[in-house]
Amino acid sequence: MSAAGPAGPQLVVHVQHALTYTLFDCKWVPRSARLLCLGSAARGTGLLQLYELQGGRLALLREIEKAEPIKCGTFGATSLQQRYLATGGFGGNLNIWNLEAPEIPVYSVKGHKEIINSIDGVGGLGVGEGAPEIVTGSRDGTVKVWDPRQKDTPVANMEPVQGESKRDCWTVAFGNAYNQEERVVCAGYDNGDIKLFDLKTMSLRWETNIKNGVCSVEFDRKDVNMNKLVATSLEGKFHVFDMRTQHPTKGFASVSEKAQKSTIWQVRHLPQNRDIFMTSGGAGSLHLWKYEYPSQRLKKDSEGAEMGVAGSVSLLQNVTLSTQPISSLDWSPDKKGLCVCGAFDQTVRVLIVTKLNKV
Amino acid sequence: MPVWLREYSWRQSGSAVYLSLPLRGLRVTPANIFCTDQYLKVSIPPFLFEAVLYAPIDDTNSTAKIGNGVIFFTLYKKEVAMWDSLTLANANKETLQYLRENAVLKAHEKAKEETEAKKVTKQEHKKYALEATMKLEEAERKRIEDLKEKERQKVTKELELWKKQQEDAEKQKQVQKEEKLHQEVEQLKEKKKEKINKTGISNEGTSKTRLKPTKGCHGSNSMFSENLKEEQLPAPRSAATIKINFTSRVFPTALRESRITEEEEWLHKQAEARRTISADLSELQDLKEEEKNPDWLKDKGNKMFATGNYLAAVNAYNLAVRLNNKLPLLYLNRAACHLKLRNLHKAIEDSSKALELLTPLVPDNENARVKAYVRRGTAFCQLELYTEGLQDYEAALKIDPKNKTIEKDAEKIRHLIQGTMQDS
Repeated sequence: MSAAGPAGPQLVVHVQHALTYTLFDCKWVPRSARLLCLGSAARGTGLLQLYELQGGRLALLREIEKAEPIKCGTFGATSLQQRYLATGGFGGNLNIWNLEAPEIPVYSVKGHKEIINSIDGVGGLGVGEGAPEIVTGSRDGTVKVWDPRQKDTPVANMEPVQGESKRDCWTVAFGNAYNQEERVVCAGYDNGDIKLFDLKTMSLRWETNIKNGVCSVEFDRKDVNMNKLVATSLEGKFHVFDMRTQHPTKGFASVSEKAQKSTIWQVRHLPQNRDIFMTSGGAGSLHLWKYEYPSQRLKKDSEGAEMGVAGSVSLLQNVTLSTQPISSLDWSPDKKGLCVCGAFDQTVRVLIVTKLNKV
Repeated sequence: MPVWLREYSWRQSGSAVYLSLPLRGLRVTPANIFCTDQYLKVSIPPFLFEAVLYAPIDDTNSTAKIGNGVIFFTLYKKEVAMWDSLTLANANKETLQYLRENAVLKAHEKAKEETEAKKVTKQEHKKYALEATMKLEEAERKRIEDLKEKERQKVTKELELWKKQQEDAEKQKQVQKEEKLHQEVEQLKEKKKEKINKTGISNEGTSKTRLKPTKGCHGSNSMFSENLKEEQLPAPRSAATIKINFTSRVFPTALRESRITEEEEWLHKQAEARRTISADLSELQDLKEEEKNPDWLKDKGNKMFATGNYLAAVNAYNLAVRLNNKLPLLYLNRAACHLKLRNLHKAIEDSSKALELLTPLVPDNENARVKAYVRRGTAFCQLELYTEGLQDYEAALKIDPKNKTIEKDAEKIRHLIQGTMQDS
């Protein structure tokens, strides 16, 4: 079971809790030992459950039921005091909830015609600068950026050209938000397209195709000059792109790894160390990886244009927790090594990764 | 007939007999010597030495030394006594035979027993080895489990500690905030009084009541910080749209949906079809260059079909088929002409040929296949073979479910079938 042996980081299951509904997303509530589970009950309604870690178990604090099943959620765009949750639903609705008074959403818009597959927020939680914004990616092929202060219309809309057959957008991520103007959105689609949109210039900055549908993209940090981007896909492959140097024709340098025989559903970087990330797979396994930078991150090609050099990725540890895919993963921003993962076998597990200081 | 060896010499002590048997130049191996408790035989074909011993000996401990052209036997007697002679004197043939056989049997039994005993010991050894390895593995596993347990406990403790810290920190913060809130409310009240004196409207007051309650007892304090912060945040972005294109492929399907093999096959087939020229060139020598090109002929045929000259169109397609009988579109179009000419059987034949050529089934030849099915269906219906016709219409509908005309026609045929069934 342990690739690095007893000397490396261990993935210890701290709590395993069975649920009675399908779990789609699980998130830590910032600055607390509480976590949120989002999903869909058997009767077709959405469920939000708030749990607290107590001793060796999860205690249910609140349960909120909504009319529409919830697919994804983020705390990324709210302040630390408010801690509002932004959720994307199966009907294409984007809602922002105040968990203390969840009857009526603080902000609500029917943003998309089809299910919102992925959501991300930036500008909140005391991280980064600039306006708080939420980006949603949907099965209708569009990616929209919302500002909670502006009702009904998105502040940016990335949609296919008229007449183009649409491809589902499976994942979105914010990045490069290091000052008030700069911001970048990365979107992954089901035909393997990865597109990078620059919100400052409102243009498509880069696109590539990794052949297999892109399940998850994430920048290693949202609030710095974009450094690394990990994109995971079907058939067990993931790519790490070095985002510091963009070559005019070749784009960004990347290294790819084929890890698990099944789809890699999620990638999440450790908030406390941006070179460590965990991938979760369709066979119920979790892999912990470390990225090593090359000796030189830049090199010149034959015409003298600069291009990036990708480093290498090494597996630190892996563990198989379930037979069903682990579809959601979240690191706690407060405690290093604490993470929660939710799988399609209707269980949520809290894991602790040890020895991350020595990696 | 064996050659008997009779030159032997022997001597005895009270408990043992020493027999020496010379074998000039013969190679002896232990397999040549056979000994039981009362019978001794040395057989090196064609030579033979045999002795029915005077008294029983202990054959397991007796030895035979082979060397120097001599076998030297040391036979230990079972009973300590002096023998009159080495062999039994009055041994007649029958007793000899009997003794011989007995001896052989005994030897067999002994051998069997020995193998049995060996087997049993082997089994025991194996079992023992297995148990030993199992124990080792158990120990290893336990060790790893213990390590993991220790880690788990350590980590749980740390977590509890951290949680406590969080809670304490939060409590502190709350207390601080409440104090601050209290102060600020006081300040605000004073300010309000001033403002009312000046303007009569208190904006801050109304905004305070209108903003929704925020998390827990952070209450109105956060509203203040919100107001201040909003001034620092940039205004919402001006709305804009970015148009995107998706990666195009020859066949627009993603890798997981791709039917690459079939699509490649189809492309290949088309390429092949275009290249074959299956006609007999001698007949066509008097044709002009362009008339030998099946595509040109197809276009001609299409034009004539458009103007209504169906017979001419059929001729053009016939010639094209003679040049290249692998192009499905030729058969398809000829079927249409035959339909118009009411050559229904020929129309059915041609549509069928076209469908045969339109394999493998890929999105590229969907259009052609729909047309082929519809034409064949029409022909069947005109021949009053409504069931076959309906089958073809349904096949066409399966490929292209959104086509309303096909649906309507299929419905009509269904009604016709039901009508005729009711009549009959």
